[in-house]
Amino acid sequence: MRGVRVLERILSTIPIVFGVAVIVFCVMRFTPGDPIDVMMGREGHVSQEQIDALRREFGLDKPIHVQLYLFLSRAVRGDLGNSLTKHRPVSTLIRERLPATVELALGALVFSLVLAIPIGVISAVRQYSFVDRASMAAAFLGISMPAFWLGIICIIVFSVRLGILPSYGRLPYGLEPARVTGLYVLDSILTGNFSSLLAALRHLFLPSITLGAAMAAIVARVMRSSMLEVLRQDYVMLARAKGLTEWAVITRHALVNALIPTVTVVGIQTGVLLGGNMIVETIFSWPGIGRLAVDAIFNRDYPLVQGVVMVYALTFVLANLAVDILYTYINPKIKL
Amino acid sequence: MLTAARGTLTRFDPVLIRVRTIARNFSELAYQVYRHPSALIGFVILAAYVVMALFAPVLAPYPPNKGSVRQSFMPPAWQEGGSPAHLLGTDHVGRDILSRIIYGARVSLWVGFLSVVVSMVVGLVLGAISGYYRGILDDVLSRFAELLMAFPFLLFAIGVMAILGPGFFNLIAALTFKSWVEFFRLVRGETISEKTKEYVEAARAQGQSNFAIITGEILPNIIHSVVVLATLRVGYMIITEASLSFLGIGVQPGIPAWGSMVDDGRDYLRTAWWVSTMPGLALLLLVLAINLFGEGLRDILDPRLKVD
Amino acid sequence: MRMRYVFVWFVVLLAMFAGSLSGCATKAEPSPSEQQEPVLELRTLSFTIDCENYNKAVAEAVAQQLRELGVDVQVRVWGDWAVLKEALLNKEREMLMNDWGNSTLDPYDLLNPKFETGGRGNYAHYSNPRVDDLLKKGATGTDAAEREKIYREVQEILYDDAPWVFGYAMQEIEASRKTVQNWVPATDSRINLHRVSLTEGDTLVVGIRATIESLDPANHRNRIAETVIRNMFDGLVTRTPDGRVVPEIAESWEAISPTLWEFKIRKGITFHNGEPLTADDVKFTFDRIITEGGLGNGKSSPRKAGLLDPVTKVEKVDDYTVRFHLSAPWPIILQMLVHQQIVPKDYVERVGSEEFARKPIGAGPFKFVEGKLDERVVMERYDGYYGGSPDIPVAGPAKIKRAIFEVIPETSTRVAALQSGQAHIIQSVPPELVPELDKDPNCEVKTVEGTRVYFLEMNVTRPPFDDVRVRQAMNYAIDWDLIIEKVLGGYATRLNGPLLPHGFARHTGLSPYPFDPDRARQLLRDAGYRTE
Repeated sequence: MRGVRVLERILSTIPIVFGVAVIVFCVMRFTPGDPIDVMMGREGHVSQEQIDALRREFGLDKPIHVQLYLFLSRAVRGDLGNSLTKHRPVSTLIRERLPATVELALGALVFSLVLAIPIGVISAVRQYSFVDRASMAAAFLGISMPAFWLGIICIIVFSVRLGILPSYGRLPYGLEPARVTGLYVLDSILTGNFSSLLAALRHLFLPSITLGAAMAAIVARVMRSSMLEVLRQDYVMLARAKGLTEWAVITRHALVNALIPTVTVVGIQTGVLLGGNMIVETIFSWPGIGRLAVDAIFNRDYPLVQGVVMVYALTFVLANLAVDILYTYINPKIKL
Repeated sequence: MLTAARGTLTRFDPVLIRVRTIARNFSELAYQVYRHPSALIGFVILAAYVVMALFAPVLAPYPPNKGSVRQSFMPPAWQEGGSPAHLLGTDHVGRDILSRIIYGARVSLWVGFLSVVVSMVVGLVLGAISGYYRGILDDVLSRFAELLMAFPFLLFAIGVMAILGPGFFNLIAALTFKSWVEFFRLVRGETISEKTKEYVEAARAQGQSNFAIITGEILPNIIHSVVVLATLRVGYMIITEASLSFLGIGVQPGIPAWGSMVDDGRDYLRTAWWVSTMPGLALLLLVLAINLFGEGLRDILDPRLKVD
Repeated sequence: MRMRYVFVWFVVLLAMFAGSLSGCATKAEPSPSEQQEPVLELRTLSFTIDCENYNKAVAEAVAQQLRELGVDVQVRVWGDWAVLKEALLNKEREMLMNDWGNSTLDPYDLLNPKFETGGRGNYAHYSNPRVDDLLKKGATGTDAAEREKIYREVQEILYDDAPWVFGYAMQEIEASRKTVQNWVPATDSRINLHRVSLTEGDTLVVGIRATIESLDPANHRNRIAETVIRNMFDGLVTRTPDGRVVPEIAESWEAISPTLWEFKIRKGITFHNGEPLTADDVKFTFDRIITEGGLGNGKSSPRKAGLLDPVTKVEKVDDYTVRFHLSAPWPIILQMLVHQQIVPKDYVERVGSEEFARKPIGAGPFKFVEGKLDERVVMERYDGYYGGSPDIPVAGPAKIKRAIFEVIPETSTRVAALQSGQAHIIQSVPPELVPELDKDPNCEVKTVEGTRVYFLEMNVTRPPFDDVRVRQAMNYAIDWDLIIEKVLGGYATRLNGPLLPHGFARHTGLSPYPFDPDRARQLLRDAGYRTE
């Protein structure tokens, strides 16, 4: 039965992605400003015939329902059309840039989990201690700051004043590892290229902190409260009564159960990580899809906006799906 | 606990007791906040900000847009070159930063509260209807909500701003366009679970109308979780305004909003740190206070609700 | 799957689509931004200055000064040129803080688009038959002195009519590491690395401020793209850092008649693939641009309008001679040819325009290695380079082995990249960060007169700026010297009209509108507005 449920859950994501595509398509057509006009730049230098030709080329002369039909029927086949401003297939652009975004999101995720889970656990175990109060206060700071501010301050401190970390980009030229997955950190490990690995990690550090700060704050708080709850449960008492050390109680019994709510939060926050990355990508010149998306909106690059937003939506939906499915295995009582 | 006896009380009582209950709830709530240290701190700071916003013309030494380019980049009073006339210094066109921060409390609180209140009301109404009546309407709204959830918030706000163009109310619209969904989902879920409870059945047996049941019975029982969510969203909205400013589509420059002030000053961070840092600190403290207060409220009102 | 579930999805999507259709049909007309008040004796002058994000600080400073006169000014920032432009073309906007590039240093590509009736950049909606007439004459005049006279008259008319608040010309502020030798910023803001050398290492990194549009010299309309392209491609002529036109691929030229120009091509030039550059390549390059659909697949080049309009035909005389046929005399042809780079005919024809843009081959000092347009472009020294223009000292192959252009849009990040040594040269340093770089012993800031003028365009078709007194009052009301000093760090020059201070035909007899608040008040009161 569970298999059928999981399958149904997977199938139910299809209309969401489809719907997102339709919404974006319609919304972009609402937007004032003509893409061809924007393409030609502010000093507008093109004759009406050329504009008409471009309009034909991109199919913008057709009625809107025909455009929608064409877009959807192509999208189903994986063809997202050509970018109006970059003159290349949208799917290629996304494929090139997605790994950067994924790497940054994973970096931020790892940063926030590595920082937040121990903090949450310690805060819970030593509730109301100085450590608890200080780290919870720090956690509030994490969500009380605009990301661009934190990013600029990180750059000023770490790359200008201290000069220990690079201020932009993913890797200097010449250090790119052979492409396997497109994630530089992973690729350099796979190909055993340790100078690349070091450089990639150094470049990843500041953007990950900037992007992951808010998430770290949230995860730390959730971890703390769920840990507190778990520590009050009978089986933890029982484990203690059996004479296990506090360390064993926490790691073997409490932690696993306390992680369940954290998994949910991580799933939800994946969307937030993606949604926040356009700011961080701009600050650190990180060549991901976030900045691509913002530029595309401002340039009225319809096909590109559609493509990028669909990728975002898909990632969000898949992250939630993964959480849901993971859930049924962690906690078999939960039904989908 | 606060929520304990509500269901049974209302069964016997018309308006009078309900009013009394709410009044008692309030005083009890106030007491609980008083007892809860972080909620108290949050509340006090928040109250100070609200006072600051209300009495801005009295408190601020200058009007928000007054200043001369001649006096740009004056450092805070305690730094060399600063003057007591401008306690926190002046910005790149010579406006007094302290005054702008004080007036900015109005704008930022407005942005935060207005956008949250609008999304809360929309979410509350649709969520209650959807959860109470179910049926095809519920299906449609829920699917639509699922769709909106799949968009990244900031990207969606940028898109809306791109359609509407700059402006204060357009900004509010951009911020609320998606965030009502979270309220909708919360209210709908709570309504569904409350609907099956005993006291609702009783009210129905008494022949109360659906409208009366929703507004009189169910809403008072779920409103606390909505309030908690709302409080936590306010800070997020204020931060998002700053992010939109960074992308060049925030509040307009004549209006002193902290987010855009932080953004204005970001290029001067190294030469005139106060232009960006001062409003940044004001913003940080406010969001901090809101979150402390919201978390405190959550502890008090609804220990179940953990994830925002 | 449950049928109902699927059905509901269908209904939701259909409803959304229908909604959007009706939305498109009644495409929201922008709300009128002001109500006309009944005419009292003295009204408060009230209007909005629109600008884009990068002009915000100056627009705010202007607003600040106008407020001191009792004018009610709002500044509105647009993240987004598209929406603003639509509003501009609808003649809805009142005042626009704007700027315009004038790389040729000739009035032709500044005055014509900005002041001719219906000109492509005429956001003041200015229209004056006399000016139209003069501009037409100026554009086709052949005698420099004659043209100068024409443009002087235009400037006098514009000075009095004041459709703009004349602002300033910004200097180009760029910066480099101290290890970079023999580099100066160019007045047209292109960065040419041909003669640059490094005291340490042989790879030079340039931080540029925006995405590169394309690497095909015939398929972009963007200074940044041109900056990168001109390191891989050479033109018939080029411009020295201080703005003189000198021969590059062309050895010499001659105007046989005002509408017929002949160019002799230097011998011994080869493209990066080793093929020699001849008249065929030159003809092909220009045919590609001036022919409709010249880029193949029905695409036309965006580099014709405003850049090559009068060129009707390019003719090969012999292997090393070409002739340009013009539809009308075109005095600034040489200035314009600087911006067109020669491409290899055989290669482009073989691989097509798209592949060419991906793997460009030129005859410039560097050859393309790899590149992503919104990330970085890497190029290496071309050892077979003929040496470039003999009129600019130090000819011969490039000094550095490798040049990398990195896209770093965020200003403070770009500056940080220079300070941390990740980049060697950066574009567009904001004035407020100059002191910071001056303090850094490893960096130096370099400036040069730029080719961009900044101004406030007033919509002359509607109140309040349909009244010339109000427009003049605006010009008297703003203390530009103060703004230049305080907001622009002193890196700007006051304008006495629309033209660049170091450009051709600038009227030296006019002095900039002085800062005279009393005069401004008087004019505003005459026009019926209250002042403080």
